[in-house]
Amino acid sequence: MSDSATEAGNDRVAEIFAAARGAGRHLLSEVEAKAALGAAGVPVTPTRLADSAAEAAAIAGELGYPVVLKVVSDTITHKSDVGGVELSLDDAAAVEAAYGRIRAAVEAAAGAEAFGGVSVQPMAAAGAEVIMGMTQDPQFGPVLMFGLGGVLVEVLKDVAFRVVPLEPHDAAEMIREIKAFPVLEGYRGAPPADLAALESILLSLSDFAEAHPEVQELDLNPILARHDGATAVDARIVLTPA
Amino acid sequence: MPISLDRLERVLNPSAVAVVGDKRASGYMWLNALKTFRGNLYSVQVDPREVEGIAALGVPNFASLTEIPEPIDYVVCAVPRKIAPIIVRDCIAAKVGGVTLFTSGFAETGEAEGIALQEQIGALAREGDLALIGPNCMGLHNPRLGVRFHRDQPHGRTGDVGFISQSGTHGMHFSLVGATRGVVCSALISFGNGIVLEAADYLDYLAADAGTRIIGMYIEGARDGRRFVRSLRAAAARKPVVVWKGGQTRAGSAAARSHTAALATDQAVWEAIVRQAGALSVESLDEMIDVVHALQRTKPGRGRRVALMAMTGGQSVALADAFARAGWEVPRFADATYAQLGEFFNVIGGSYQNPLDMAGTIMTDRAALDRLLDLMADDPNVDAVAMEVSATFAAQRWERDPEELAALIRSLHRFRERSDKPFVTALHPSYVEAAALKARDALQEAGLPVFPSFERAANALAKSVALRPSLHPGEAGRRRPA
Repeated sequence: MSDSATEAGNDRVAEIFAAARGAGRHLLSEVEAKAALGAAGVPVTPTRLADSAAEAAAIAGELGYPVVLKVVSDTITHKSDVGGVELSLDDAAAVEAAYGRIRAAVEAAAGAEAFGGVSVQPMAAAGAEVIMGMTQDPQFGPVLMFGLGGVLVEVLKDVAFRVVPLEPHDAAEMIREIKAFPVLEGYRGAPPADLAALESILLSLSDFAEAHPEVQELDLNPILARHDGATAVDARIVLTPA
Repeated sequence: MPISLDRLERVLNPSAVAVVGDKRASGYMWLNALKTFRGNLYSVQVDPREVEGIAALGVPNFASLTEIPEPIDYVVCAVPRKIAPIIVRDCIAAKVGGVTLFTSGFAETGEAEGIALQEQIGALAREGDLALIGPNCMGLHNPRLGVRFHRDQPHGRTGDVGFISQSGTHGMHFSLVGATRGVVCSALISFGNGIVLEAADYLDYLAADAGTRIIGMYIEGARDGRRFVRSLRAAAARKPVVVWKGGQTRAGSAAARSHTAALATDQAVWEAIVRQAGALSVESLDEMIDVVHALQRTKPGRGRRVALMAMTGGQSVALADAFARAGWEVPRFADATYAQLGEFFNVIGGSYQNPLDMAGTIMTDRAALDRLLDLMADDPNVDAVAMEVSATFAAQRWERDPEELAALIRSLHRFRERSDKPFVTALHPSYVEAAALKARDALQEAGLPVFPSFERAANALAKSVALRPSLHPGEAGRRRPA
């Protein structure tokens, strides 16, 4: 991004962080996290908050079908575990029904206060699932992670780390370092993933981490890596406590 | 503020050294270790019973550092911790080059008095601009000048490996065990708690030191992590740097709210740092010494295709397995090589795919080894060569007929003279350990790399080959546009 675009992006990110802190939260909602990352030049699916079934359907109509609904919650870490995610919703009726199911499931599993509406986003084109993230190391400051994404990431631990700031060759090397790299090269006839797009996101995250030391933890999981680009379909940002 | 490199230069290359507080109870370990020092050695001790013992050693003793009639470049301080601040003040008053605080009982104890004393000493040293090494460490070793902290460390020899150790024992072992493998230090620094000078300072020094060609380090943690990364990166851009990170001090954060924080273990982050800096990770003292030994004694190579030369069929398989596991390809030789092998290779009880199963060929015809090595040198499919030297077959014969071992060494030496391909030998001690060690020493004396197992040879060669291209990364192409 150009310097002025970077500056405007940084201002937008600071506003989003300040708003969350103003509401007493240091875990950002998916909508906030994606807005902040989008402002930093990371490709994310456009994602908006809906507080009612009708609003969800209206947003879905604007974004275009099919869409995904996910619960917005300050307390739930793994949304799909509590029935908080509905995929491939093709029309307004399906969206409204899904809204009701998510609300009922989340309230049953975690109580009424756990439900804070839903996020609405277009269903992203399929691709290889990768994860990128950042955390603050007590000795070395921000470190970035890249790995094969999805729900098994902590079991398989097929990830690579680098310390911020990253050079382009660091981004290229960490992508090629994971055991599952052949999957990204085009496994069993699948087209190869757009590695340049993935490298570019890692470098944007490195800049993001440097510009915003108040980010304590960050996950983009998954990022769908297609042959022509890559998009983060879920995002989590935790700010430092104070 | 980082201490100037000139200061470390003076401390590590002293003309005059003083030991404060050496004791009979320790066998006067410091004065005995420093007997080999080529400059002037002094003692400072006020206890009359100790003064007598020190006089018997023939070392001039003074009541205070400030009374010694010449400038002191390096001081070893072995007094109890409560006395340490007094000695640190004396060092500053006497304008010494630097001091090693062998004294322990500071922050590493975790108790209030130790922590307070450490803070006091650190503040004194920083204010007095004193190069303070430690506390809780063994300090400096410079074999060329006979500066030592253990009486069996080498002296009167010049090495080319700079070693930095947060642990005194690992530093000591690197110098002692390394010497048995022909690995001698240009400078070794055991820095313990590192309260004034820390790992990054020593890295900066060794990176700039013309006498240091390879840097090794044992480290458990860095106080200023960002600075450590900068120093490691700068050092690794100039010389091979091998890092042994000890201690899994932090698991993934249990309180993590992200996968990333949960997976960012201490080990994962350190591995990333070492790799990102262009340095190399090892996991033990043996692996450290193996890799340094390989860096010193093998030519830089690039490719991953290795020719393997073993004495029997079983060893051929084991050698190939060990190298394959370490990431090597074991390719077919070029057709021209096979054509020539067909002319003289004894296939009865042997074979010459790759590996060469060669006992039947070279034990009947000594000149055949040179022919085989020449073929390996010329084969375009071969990037590196590894050879079994079999103690089982030959150690007892070498004892009876040293000329046989000498001839083998001449052949290997000849190969190294004419080929740019990295070359290693594996000499397993087998059941004839004493004889095998003698043969190892003879090979090492001739400058040849020798490893005690196929696995260690394969790993050390792989790591040394992997490390060296990073020294010439074409820096311009790696930098991000501003």
